[in-house]
Amino acid sequence: MATAAHAGHRLERRYARLGVFLIAPTIVVFSLVIVYPLLAAIYLSFFSVYTPTLEGEFTGADNYIRLLTNAAFWNSLITTLIWTVGTLSLQIVFGVGMALLLHQNLWFRSLARSLVLFPYFVSTVVAVLVWRWLFNDLYGAINHGLMQLGIMDMPLDWLGTMPNAMIGVILVGAWKYFPFVVIAVLARLQTIPEHLYEAAKIDGAGPIARFFDVTLPQLRSVLVVIILLRAIWDFKEFDLIYLLTGGGPVTSTQTLSLLVYQEAFALNEMGQAAAYSIGMMLVMLVFMLVYIRRTAREA
Amino acid sequence: MAEVVLKDIRKEFGTFVALERLNVAINAGEFVALLGPSGCGKSTTLRMLAGLDFPTAGEISIDGRVVNDVAPGKRDIAMVFQSYALYPHMTVAQNIAYPLKKRGVARPERDAAVAKTATLLQLEPLLNRKPRQLSGGQQQRVALGRALVREPKVFLLDEPLSNLDAKLRSYMRAELIELHRRIGKTMVYVTHDQLEAMTMADRIAVMHDGRLQQFDEPEIIYNQPANRFVAGFIGTPSMNQLEGAIAGSSFVINGEQVPINRALYEQALKDGPVVLGIRPENVSLSGGSLPATVRLVENAGHEQIVTVEIPGGHRLLAREASGQRPSVGQTCQIGFDADFIHLFQPGENGSRFETTGQAHVIPMQAQRSASDES
Repeated sequence: MATAAHAGHRLERRYARLGVFLIAPTIVVFSLVIVYPLLAAIYLSFFSVYTPTLEGEFTGADNYIRLLTNAAFWNSLITTLIWTVGTLSLQIVFGVGMALLLHQNLWFRSLARSLVLFPYFVSTVVAVLVWRWLFNDLYGAINHGLMQLGIMDMPLDWLGTMPNAMIGVILVGAWKYFPFVVIAVLARLQTIPEHLYEAAKIDGAGPIARFFDVTLPQLRSVLVVIILLRAIWDFKEFDLIYLLTGGGPVTSTQTLSLLVYQEAFALNEMGQAAAYSIGMMLVMLVFMLVYIRRTAREA
Repeated sequence: MAEVVLKDIRKEFGTFVALERLNVAINAGEFVALLGPSGCGKSTTLRMLAGLDFPTAGEISIDGRVVNDVAPGKRDIAMVFQSYALYPHMTVAQNIAYPLKKRGVARPERDAAVAKTATLLQLEPLLNRKPRQLSGGQQQRVALGRALVREPKVFLLDEPLSNLDAKLRSYMRAELIELHRRIGKTMVYVTHDQLEAMTMADRIAVMHDGRLQQFDEPEIIYNQPANRFVAGFIGTPSMNQLEGAIAGSSFVINGEQVPINRALYEQALKDGPVVLGIRPENVSLSGGSLPATVRLVENAGHEQIVTVEIPGGHRLLAREASGQRPSVGQTCQIGFDADFIHLFQPGENGSRFETTGQAHVIPMQAQRSASDES
């Protein structure tokens, strides 16, 4: 008995060692691509660094004091929040709506299910170029169409004035990323047992009551995960906004990612940029903590 | 209480005919089981009663009202699903209250009704739990509670016990019988388990391949099966069926003669091919005239099921009381209790020859004791 227990103990230790050995490569790669850049950014944020030469001098907390006292960071944070909340809301509304539609027995369902993924798969550069052409104030299809329909009589400068530029960015963002919501919600919809709907029908629930009493509660867990993930991704979105408006007009659509980029590569202030990105990371940490707590609870 | 009438129901799924010429009239307050193997159309029938499926042709009426075009929620029926279909995000109390809420019943009345139902089903300690925190039997009772709470005219139950383990199933069976006796509502119960149907139902509708085979009381279904399917489906182990012929006053199989009660059958029978049916409990292993060899003995404690082979390779089952145990390979002369011999038309689902004159009804009690004595 004693020897058997001892042998079992030894086996357990051997498994533990094997476990460490198996996750070691992940830890090494993770350290190289995540931990090192993070530490480097924190280090850089205490210097005043000239980007082209990466030379600079230690300035202590100056960069952080400027972050807190200058309006640039806070304005950008507000812009980022407007963009994130705006585009995410549209993604969820259109995503859930489209998923419900594609869950119905339509004759073109499988074709539509593949087509709906198109915006998500198309390269951001290509998508943005097409949208910029659509939004163009002189020869854009949107102005042309709206004027033909008689909704406007003057062409509108979509990306060059506010709030049009923000609305444009939010719309393109929603168009680009709502398919992600569709896929996740559609997958969940297909696992909702048909019996729940039938029971609800017999219990006297109409279509709207069935949506709120059966569908929505069943979608809750997946929606929480989607909203948190998309919030994190939208919060740090760069290429779409950079390509569409470049942060303009002036800084009206300059989100934090764009601010960091501008500071680092246009103003050549790598130290200040690092401080901004640390600030941005701290904001994102809030999302991440919520996400981790949520997923831990679901598990 | 309400009677339920299915008139000339036909149901097609594409080119597949699921139900054909189904006519069933269920009396008010009756407990009826729809019994049959999977794919026989019993669940489809129930779903059409509920309004979840629609008949291709025919008429469904509940309490004298034709409900073909009435939505499920307005038929005044309640259904218990095999999977229970409890709303997972709601507590037990909210689940039970839901049908009342959707019908606009005010909060205080709702609470009172939930409390009453909970008492009836002994659910009080569970009212604040979520379905996933309950055992199978508890979920089952909540599903029943949700059906009971608004006192519908008709209860529809779709294999409600099949997800429970054997012990709990027999317990819930007794509970349901008791419940039906107390509330006296019309209940339609779908099952593939003949034991459930036999023990619980006032009448059983045996279905096969989309057609009603027989609709009668359990004892009649057992003692006077309408055809070979019913004879084979009801009873465990099922009735032995031997293909042979009538010659004179005997049933002849492979040149061996089995005497039959000529007086009972002479009206119905002519010489010619016929199928003889005999239940295992009416086969005796000695004192008969048919030579047989014992092939298998299955001992179930209180009884044993003996498989014997007669000339020609036919196998028969005999149910014997435990005690003397026949040995495999032993030869014997088997005999059939002439009072319990059934004759069927030849063919895959031949009808039973109705006897004339004296009815061939043997009360189940008498039959059980007869089998015990053998």
